[in-house]
Amino acid sequence: MLSIYKKELRNYFTTITGYGFLGFLVLITGYFFISQNIISRNANYNDALAGSMIMFLILIPVLTMRLFAEESRQKTDQLLFSAPIKVPDIVGGKFLSALTLYFIGIAITLIFPFMLSRLGEPDWGTTIVGLLGYFMMGGCLISVGLFISVLTDNQIVAAAATFAAVFLLLMMDNISSSAPITVASSIIFIVVIILALALLIYSSTKNFPLAGIFSLMCFVATGVFYLFKPNLFDGVIVSVLGWFSVLNRFENFYMGIISISDIIYYITFSIAFLYLTVNVIEKRRWS
Amino acid sequence: MIEVKNLTKKFGPHTAVDNISFVVNDGEIVGFLGPNGAGKTTTMNMMTGFISSTEGTVRINGFDILEDPIKAKKQLGYLPDVPPVYGDMTVKEYLEFVCDLKKVKKSERDFMIKDITATTQLGDVFNRLIKNLSKGYRQRVGVAQALVGDPDVLILDEPTSGLDPKQIIEMRDLIKRLGKKHTVILSSHILGEVGEICDRIIIINKGKIVASQSTEELINTAGNSAQLVTIKGDPYLAVEKLREWSCIDSVTIDSSNNDGTYNIKVFGSEGSDIREIIFAAMAEERISILMLRPLTSSLEEVFLKVINGTFENTSEEDNGEVLSIAFAQGSAEEAENKEADE
Repeated sequence: MLSIYKKELRNYFTTITGYGFLGFLVLITGYFFISQNIISRNANYNDALAGSMIMFLILIPVLTMRLFAEESRQKTDQLLFSAPIKVPDIVGGKFLSALTLYFIGIAITLIFPFMLSRLGEPDWGTTIVGLLGYFMMGGCLISVGLFISVLTDNQIVAAAATFAAVFLLLMMDNISSSAPITVASSIIFIVVIILALALLIYSSTKNFPLAGIFSLMCFVATGVFYLFKPNLFDGVIVSVLGWFSVLNRFENFYMGIISISDIIYYITFSIAFLYLTVNVIEKRRWS
Repeated sequence: MIEVKNLTKKFGPHTAVDNISFVVNDGEIVGFLGPNGAGKTTTMNMMTGFISSTEGTVRINGFDILEDPIKAKKQLGYLPDVPPVYGDMTVKEYLEFVCDLKKVKKSERDFMIKDITATTQLGDVFNRLIKNLSKGYRQRVGVAQALVGDPDVLILDEPTSGLDPKQIIEMRDLIKRLGKKHTVILSSHILGEVGEICDRIIIINKGKIVASQSTEELINTAGNSAQLVTIKGDPYLAVEKLREWSCIDSVTIDSSNNDGTYNIKVFGSEGSDIREIIFAAMAEERISILMLRPLTSSLEEVFLKVINGTFENTSEEDNGEVLSIAFAQGSAEEAENKEADE
């Protein structure tokens, strides 16, 4: 894992990517620091953090688009996958290198709360918890970007898709709040999900009876639940979409509350996407 | 030692590699020969664990590549068809990274890199960015990468592709030298090269092994004495005279040259030496022989015969056909030059 980590981190700094990333991050954070803290005479640095999250739209694609897309374009993946190293180590090394660069960026922007402490009396506890949440949320988005990068060998496609994914994740609160909450819509949603899962099972195993039995069982279970506990179906779409709302989970951190469930959510979210990345690679090699 | 057993790879309905088995012993250099799309690269990718097999096993020094991948991969160095190099690293950085990747001990690393750089003659470009190197140098960096960690087994996919003639000769010498210490399996579609370097040749076509023999055996079995004769004089008379001999199967006029000489192809029956006969026949009619050159035993011919499935029973027409294809293709050197130009 260390070899990949070192290589990727060095690559960020031998190309313009690392400097561009850090420069842009500091610039945008600085802009929000001035507008949210200095001009509006506000000692809460977390306002600047919350405002600057819009830059993830650009920064996450920059950070992750290259990671796997470039390997498959240059055919260097043949070197990595025929070397005595496990796939999770490769994925982990790449993820950690991107996370490290992001961490360095956050470390540089620490200069802003320090400036704030000269001018006023910011609450350091709240700021540190806010930064922790900010860091972990970035980690989630990086894992999504890494996953997208493995799906294509074209950096531009990876960047565009990551932009769209980050946009959706940041907008998820808005989307879920405007989603229909009626029982009928919930049932349609569940049916669509079941059919999609069945299709996935069929396409990966080519076993039609298995996919059929799976979807049949899911339909029966849905029916049983509907008969006995119909109120379970209120607002299913909203709660499912809510799972993906990384921004929603930031609220507690913003207020300076360390909530274990939110920390676990962020870590699980990142690991889930890293796991998916490993699986896509393995699947490709086995198909 | 490489043991490949019943290896099969299917991409959907398409079978790229179909149930092939072979063993490469320690210290052997084996050539993997086949036309484009025969399944050479797929087989090599499976042998190195880059992709999995649909069926069958690959063992490197006794370690299964899928069940015990880390141990098996430690035994091998792989040069894929495109050298897997990072453009924005220098040769030095790249080799250090590969050392890291293959977990070479820190204490051995400097010496190893120095050694490999000397073997592959990369000293001149050691501190240059790989993206600025020519294709030949990149190929050598690819070979250097395969040598890191001193693996027992080297798998080289078309190691001479893209090199100029001088580099090709250097690369062949390098592979021959490596063959003394390592077990080497290399693929190529350049026949002369394989014949020169390899102890044994495995020919595959459409995913199947069609021949697996030592280089000498392969050339000998396919050789039936045929000669290309350049004469000065009446070619029709010459053909007529030659046809009178019972041990000569067929005679054809191949081409006429600008200086009024003619090339004639003479095919003798299996195992006969027809050179003296040709001389005697021509002397009788006072036709001068300007050149006499054996046609058979060229690897091109063997190769095409094997690929066309006419390996066992070669009829006269086949011979003619096969040879004209072989000549249309040109000799091994020409083919190499052409590739170097590309």
